[in-house]
Amino acid sequence: MSRFHIVTRASDTAYLYDGTLEGFYCCVHASVYRREFPCAIFAPEETQESLFPPTEIVTDQGQAGKVRRAVAAHISPRALELTETVFCSCLPRREWRLLRILLRGWREGPSLLERLGDEELAPLLKAERHLGGEVQLLRGFVRFSDLGGMLAATITPKNFVLPFLAPHFAGRYPNENFLIFDKTHKAALLQEQGQLRLIRAERIEFPAVSELEAGYRALWRRFYDAVAIEARENPRCRMTHMPKRYWENMTEFGD
Amino acid sequence: MDLMEKLTLLTGGAKYDAACTSSGADRSGPPGKGMGSAMAAGCCHSFAADGRCISLLKVLMTNVCIYDCQYCVNRRSNDVPRVTFTPEELAELTIQFYRRNYIEGLFLSSGVIHSPDVTMERMIRVLELLREKYAFYGYLHCKVIPGASKDLIRRAGQLADRLSVNIELPSERSLRLLCPDKTRQSVLGPMAQIQRDSGVNGHLCLPEHRGPGLLSAPRNSHELDSPGRTLSVSGHFSDKELSAGNGGNASGGWPRDGRTSGAGQATQMIIGATPESDFQILRLAQGLYHRYGLKRVFYSAYVPVTDNSLLPAPGTPPPLLREHRLYQADFLLRRYQFAAEELLSADAPNFHPYLDPKCDWALRHMDRFPLDVNRASREDLLRVPGVGPTSAARIVTARREGRLDTAALKRLGVVLKRAQYFLLTPDRPRGTGLNREGIVRALIDPGIFSFGMEQLSLFTALPAELPGAGDVRSLREAAEEATRALAAGF
Repeated sequence: MSRFHIVTRASDTAYLYDGTLEGFYCCVHASVYRREFPCAIFAPEETQESLFPPTEIVTDQGQAGKVRRAVAAHISPRALELTETVFCSCLPRREWRLLRILLRGWREGPSLLERLGDEELAPLLKAERHLGGEVQLLRGFVRFSDLGGMLAATITPKNFVLPFLAPHFAGRYPNENFLIFDKTHKAALLQEQGQLRLIRAERIEFPAVSELEAGYRALWRRFYDAVAIEARENPRCRMTHMPKRYWENMTEFGD
Repeated sequence: MDLMEKLTLLTGGAKYDAACTSSGADRSGPPGKGMGSAMAAGCCHSFAADGRCISLLKVLMTNVCIYDCQYCVNRRSNDVPRVTFTPEELAELTIQFYRRNYIEGLFLSSGVIHSPDVTMERMIRVLELLREKYAFYGYLHCKVIPGASKDLIRRAGQLADRLSVNIELPSERSLRLLCPDKTRQSVLGPMAQIQRDSGVNGHLCLPEHRGPGLLSAPRNSHELDSPGRTLSVSGHFSDKELSAGNGGNASGGWPRDGRTSGAGQATQMIIGATPESDFQILRLAQGLYHRYGLKRVFYSAYVPVTDNSLLPAPGTPPPLLREHRLYQADFLLRRYQFAAEELLSADAPNFHPYLDPKCDWALRHMDRFPLDVNRASREDLLRVPGVGPTSAARIVTARREGRLDTAALKRLGVVLKRAQYFLLTPDRPRGTGLNREGIVRALIDPGIFSFGMEQLSLFTALPAELPGAGDVRSLREAAEEATRALAAGF
C-alpha cells in the first residue's frame, strides 16, 4: 500500500472551522497542503485561548470528500469509522487529536489502529467507547410522548449521539412520525412520512399532554414502582446502571 | 376492575421472576411494515428501585391459580384479590408502552386458570394479537405452563422469541415437598420439547474445553440419544432426564423462518428456600446448559412471602450475596470456560463470602501464576482475576504491534488492581513482589461492604478458619480476619 509522506511543522497557527465534519476534513486538508501542524482547532462556539487570531478554514465539500476517501483508502475503513465516531464524542480537543492520529496513520499505516495501548490512540478509543456506551443507554432511556400523533422525546447527552440513534429508532418505528430533541447540542432527529432528517434546533416548544398520554404515563409509573422488590431495595445499584443525569428526561421520574 | 389496578396486581405477582431479559434475538421488521425490532445484546429500558433491569413489560396474564406452591404469592391458599387481563387490553398496553420506548417487549407469565391448556391458550392469544394484528416485531418472552400440551407449547414457540420453563426448586425432593402439583417431568418434558422444536444442540452452548471431573459430556447428537445414562446431576434430576434428543424443526406460523423460540430458552431457580448446596445448584445449571442448550439460567434469592414451617420465616432477608456469587460462577461457566467442578467440590460445596469464585480459584492455583502478559494464551489470560473477555481480547490484539508494559495495559483499559499480582510485564519482570497478605487483601471482594453484615450472617456453614458474622464487630474487621486466615492458608 502506498503511504503518504507528509511532513508538517508545528505551528503557532490555530484553525477555526464551522464545527461540521466536512469542515474538520478541510482542516486536515489545510494542514497537509500547508505542511503545518496547527496548535489548536476551534469550532465557533468554543472559547479561543490563542495569542494570534486563528486562521479561518473554509468548508469545501470537494476537499472534504477527498480527505474522507483518503482516510478509508490509505489508512483503513476502521480509521474512518473511528474518526467519524470520535468527532461526535465529547473528548476535549478531539479535532486536534484526530488530526495527529490521521497524519500518523498515513505515515505508519493501518496497523496504528491496532496499537490499542498507544498514548495518542488510547484516549480516542476511550472516547469512542464512552460515546458507544451513551448510545446504548439512550436506546433504552429515550422516552417518547404521543403528542397528537407525533412521538416526541428530549435528551441531554454528553456526546452527539443522534446520528447513532437514528438507524435504531427509524428501524423500530417505520410507520411513526417521531422527533428526538438533543438539548445539549441543539439539534433534532426528525422522522416525518418515512423521511429521516437531522436538523438544527435551538428550542422546541412541545404542545400540552393529552389525557390519554397522561394515562399511559401514569400506568408506566405504576408498573415501574410495582415491579421493584422492596426486600431488595438498592439505590446505589440503580444509580450505577442508570446515572442520575438521565433521570430528568424519563417518564418514571416525572410529576 | 380498571386497568391501573390490574396492572398493579399482575405486576406484583410477576416481579419475583428473574428470568427477564431481552437478549438473544437480532431482528428488524420488514421495511416500512409493522413495528419493532430486537437486538442480540438485549436492551435495558430502566432500572427499578431494587437495581434490577427493566427490559420487558413483566406481568401475569392472571393471578388466579389452581396450584398451591408454597413459596409463591399466587398460590391458591393465599388470600389476595384475583384479576385477569383480557388478551386485547394486554396487547394494546404492550404496544402503547413499546411506542413510547418504555419497553423492549412483553414477558408473559401466568397463574394457572382452569387448566394448563386453557391458560396457555389465553397467553398465545396475546402473542397472536401482537404478532398478527399489530405486526409487532419486538421481543416476546413466554412462560410455559407445566402440563400444557405439546401443540400449544409449539405454537407459543412459533410466536415468542424465548420460552422458559421454571425449574423453581433445585432438587426433586424440594419440588415434591413444596409444589405438590408439579412434577419434575412436567418441567423437564417441555424443556426437552422446546429444544427439539428449536433445533438447538445442547452441547454447543458451552465451550468445548471442559475441566476435569465433569459427567461425561456428549460430543454428538448420537450420544445424546443413547439410553441408560443414570449418572446423577445435582441430586435428584438424573442424567437421563437431563439428556434430550435433537432434530425436528417445526415449520409455519410466525416467525417466517420456521424456527421456534429463536432466542432460545431460559429457566430460573429459587435460591435459599430449600437446603441445596451451591455445588448442587451450579452442577444443575451446568447440566441444563449442556443438555438442554439453555441460553440462561437465572437465580432468584427467595423473598419469604408466606408463613410455612418448610420455608424461611417471613422477615428473613433474601440471600443476595449468595445469589450474586451464583451469577458470578454462572458467568464463569458461560464465558470463561470454567467447569462447576473447578469452582466447587463435595468437600467445599458452597461459595466463599469473602472472595468471588474466580479469585477463590486463583488463590487455590497460585502455582499457575504469574503469567507473561506478552506470551500467555487468551485462555490463560481469562483465568487472571480482573481480566475478562474484553481485556483479554484487547491484550491479544495490542501485543501483536509491540510489547505491552504496565502503562500500556492501563491505557488499554485493563484494571490492574487484582491482575497486577498475576501478570508479568517487561517493566516488572519479577512481578510485584508483594507478600501473600497483600495479594489476598487485594482479592477480597469489596462487594461485601455494599451487601452488608446481614448478608454475611446468612453464610452459616463457613470453614472454621473464616470469621462469621458473629465473630466480628464490623465488615472491615471481618475482611481483615479473612485476609489473615487466607494468607496463612496458602
